[in-house]
Amino acid sequence: MIRGSKQVLKYIAERTIVYVATIFSGVTLTYLIVKAMPVDAVENILFGMISSVGAVYDPESVILLRKNLYEIFGIGGSPIESYLIFIRRVFTFDFGPSTIAYPTPASEIVFKRLPWTVGLLLASTLITWTTGNLLGVIAGYFRDRKFARVLEGIAITLYPIPYYIMALILIFLFAYLLRIFPLGGGLSIIPEKFDLQLVLNIIWHSLLPAASLILPGALGWSFLSSRTLTMQTLTEDYTRYAEVRGLPGSHILRRYVLRNILLPQTTVLALSLGGIFGGALLTEIIFAYPGVGSIAYRAIFSGDIYTLMAVLFLSMIGVATGTYLLDLLYPLIDPRVRYR
Amino acid sequence: MEPSLIAENLKAGYRLSTMELQKEVEIYVDAVSGVSLTLGRDEIFGIAGESGCGKSTLIKVIYGYHEPSLILRDGSVRLYGRKGEEFDIVKLDRGRLQRDVWWKHISYIPQSSMNILNPTMRIRDHFAEILKIHRGVEKDEAYREAGKYLESMGLPIDALSAFPHQLSGGMRQRVVIALALLLEPSLVLADEPSSALDVINQKVVLTLLREKQEELKNTVVIVSHDMGVHGVLSDRMAIMYAGKIVEVCDTTEIFWKPLHPYTKALIESLPRLGDKSKRIGLGGTPPDLRNPPPGCRFHPRCPYVMPVCSKADPPLCEVRSGHYAACWLYSETVEAI
Amino acid sequence: MAIAARFMGKIVSLFVMLYRRNLKFRLGFTIILILLTLGFLSFFSPTNTRTWYVAPRDRPPSLEYPFGTSSMGRDLFWELCASIRNSLTIAFVTAMIASHIGLFLGFIAGIRGGIIDRVLMFLTDTFIIIPGLPLLMVVTTVLKRYLTIPFLGMLISIVSWPWPSRQVRSMVLSLRERTFIHTARLSGMSTSKVILQELMPYVLGWHLVNFTNTILFSIGTESGLAILGLSILDDNTLGVMIYWALNWGYALFRGIWWWLATPVVTLVLTFVSFYLVSMGINEYVHRLVR
Repeated sequence: MIRGSKQVLKYIAERTIVYVATIFSGVTLTYLIVKAMPVDAVENILFGMISSVGAVYDPESVILLRKNLYEIFGIGGSPIESYLIFIRRVFTFDFGPSTIAYPTPASEIVFKRLPWTVGLLLASTLITWTTGNLLGVIAGYFRDRKFARVLEGIAITLYPIPYYIMALILIFLFAYLLRIFPLGGGLSIIPEKFDLQLVLNIIWHSLLPAASLILPGALGWSFLSSRTLTMQTLTEDYTRYAEVRGLPGSHILRRYVLRNILLPQTTVLALSLGGIFGGALLTEIIFAYPGVGSIAYRAIFSGDIYTLMAVLFLSMIGVATGTYLLDLLYPLIDPRVRYR
Repeated sequence: MEPSLIAENLKAGYRLSTMELQKEVEIYVDAVSGVSLTLGRDEIFGIAGESGCGKSTLIKVIYGYHEPSLILRDGSVRLYGRKGEEFDIVKLDRGRLQRDVWWKHISYIPQSSMNILNPTMRIRDHFAEILKIHRGVEKDEAYREAGKYLESMGLPIDALSAFPHQLSGGMRQRVVIALALLLEPSLVLADEPSSALDVINQKVVLTLLREKQEELKNTVVIVSHDMGVHGVLSDRMAIMYAGKIVEVCDTTEIFWKPLHPYTKALIESLPRLGDKSKRIGLGGTPPDLRNPPPGCRFHPRCPYVMPVCSKADPPLCEVRSGHYAACWLYSETVEAI
Repeated sequence: MAIAARFMGKIVSLFVMLYRRNLKFRLGFTIILILLTLGFLSFFSPTNTRTWYVAPRDRPPSLEYPFGTSSMGRDLFWELCASIRNSLTIAFVTAMIASHIGLFLGFIAGIRGGIIDRVLMFLTDTFIIIPGLPLLMVVTTVLKRYLTIPFLGMLISIVSWPWPSRQVRSMVLSLRERTFIHTARLSGMSTSKVILQELMPYVLGWHLVNFTNTILFSIGTESGLAILGLSILDDNTLGVMIYWALNWGYALFRGIWWWLATPVVTLVLTFVSFYLVSMGINEYVHRLVR
């Protein structure tokens, strides 16, 4: 076990370095892209912000807004200087004041809504991944049966559909045609105290948004890759040999197939995180779900670039962290990583 | 001698689809053409022959493990357990085979492979699952039994908590042998048990097999193209060629007094200590089993070929006591069996 | 020029074979042909689909207006045709840029290996980590006034190139180890000849798959941006249709479901058809590699 631990520590250290380096280079790349924006476009943003309906800014605020904007977009000042300022701002979460709720800092607004998004994402992703895995294994094992083919057909149809289109379809079917679910919002009762009724209400409002995220996954990418992996694993030597030893099918599926597809499936999950996040944002907007997505929407509407930057970098860090955490799980899942 | 296995007139082959002139066609490739065997208890039986002669297919058919493309056209296989239980392998369905026959009364040792054990399961769990599923032994007790068992196989006790990739090829193969003998079946089929190992590990594995057979007094079938392996292990042997058994007898007789021309050529081609003369091989190649030659399948290459050989297939007859050969050279002398 | 013609010829014969043999490809390709026809029809649209109130408002589907009309007074049929044309154009631009960048980089990374591979892969992985939609939200918000159909396609390719790059690289890696490559090199073939003759059949297949997938991704992304109001709102794309239906017409609240259903159903058909085509080509490539 001691030998194993050293291996694991080395792995964790390696992954952490990659994590930090990736975020750093992601920030840098974004800086470069942002810096490439033409100056008058930026100026237009400022103009749009100031003159948007209902906004009243005193001259000092305008100067402040412009200063922040120019710093973030690297306008004026030497490249190195503006880069360093940029880095500092990102890592201290200083994106300037938001304009949708001036003068509250942009990052504060985003942070407040973050729990809703994280909650939705965590729950949906977990359900998607586990359900997709199980369904895929069953469909892969019983590949010639009718129900497996039907599932495959459904999955082929659902997989390419983006989450927000799924959201529109679900809203159309279940909130419009059959008025079962609410058309949107996060809750429909005033949160006075944190009790079961509140929790249930929240869950009720989260069902359709979550379903929009879950369906194209559990019957989409998660299912399809699980099914392909299962069909592959069933032809492996060790699975065949398990059959020869008279081990029953259910045991083989559990111990030989499922256990061995967990690792590649985790990789698939890690690679999908970015897409799921983007999809979640749009789904939130469609359902007027009070998460980061709705904030981003309002920011777009009023040209609030600061909040948008906050959303961008927080989501970048979020996705990178999610991938990092999944990476850390590898030694637990695959003994070949744990012991060399 | 009480038999542990009686196989009669097995005919099996593979249905494959290949491309012929831009179209996909299905063909049948013969692999085992009318093989009969009787194996006794407490013996090591070797099956020798070159690649493609059908020995691996024969093993699969005896075991009852059917891949979708393997077709058994005719024949029967009767297996007898330690306490005399009889199993008709061909007639039993997969479920019954899995539950009642496989691993309890017959087991299989595959050719050593990198990938034969579950990479996500520890060695002790490989043992524990067999004990749990076939004997209902609970996990902790199974671990203890596995530990004692490994020791008796000469494997270190900390191999138990290891994962397969942490063991060397030789150790893995010994674990596989240990798994096969765990429930003490009356028949063990070993398919090229040492071919993929280095010489040192080969010796270890072969010695282990011999010792265990002497201890358990079961029937072990060794399939190998390596005559050296048979010289060391097998008590009796069968030589296979192009899907048929051409000779069956004691190993010593095979080496010193081979009857069938193919066997003779096989023995002739083996290197001998001290003899530096050039080894003479056999001309030609084994026949294409999509279209086997008429009559005796060996006749195109046989140095003793006679007119009758291309017309009729010689049956396997007992030429001397306990020594069978399928060749027209000997059939006049003895009645067919 | 000759090489391009030869490639086109190869692609056409590939498509014909796939059409005959593979059900998925057949289905998907048929739907795509229908969509392309509709898109082509848009050139003959009797009304200018960028102007409002050319048709009676809020009419449900009928013989005269097969998909109905919108609250902005447009015949949804012609609007749909124009939208299909624009959405596919944007997607095509993105796919041309992103899949070729990905092909180029992935190829180099796979063939050269070593430090070049690690640098390129680090770059690729970093880009994959950057969530595409938030980045595009920032970029399109700033550049809103400069957005045109081709330009939008270019912008989307910024976030689309990492995936093809990874795919091509892993394919090159797995092929590199195969014996036939070693044999070709050992027999004295120069590297570029090895690439062209031996690898090309597989690479072409994979490239097509990546191209198709990038088209999918791009349509999806553009529609997503459009719903946010970040696309070219005074032109027609499928996403923009949805935007107007939701935000201006409150289609669902007012019961004008056909305005929303038309682009949504078309989008779904587009996604499914391109995916089927992609799967068809994929299956073929897999059988090749076997």
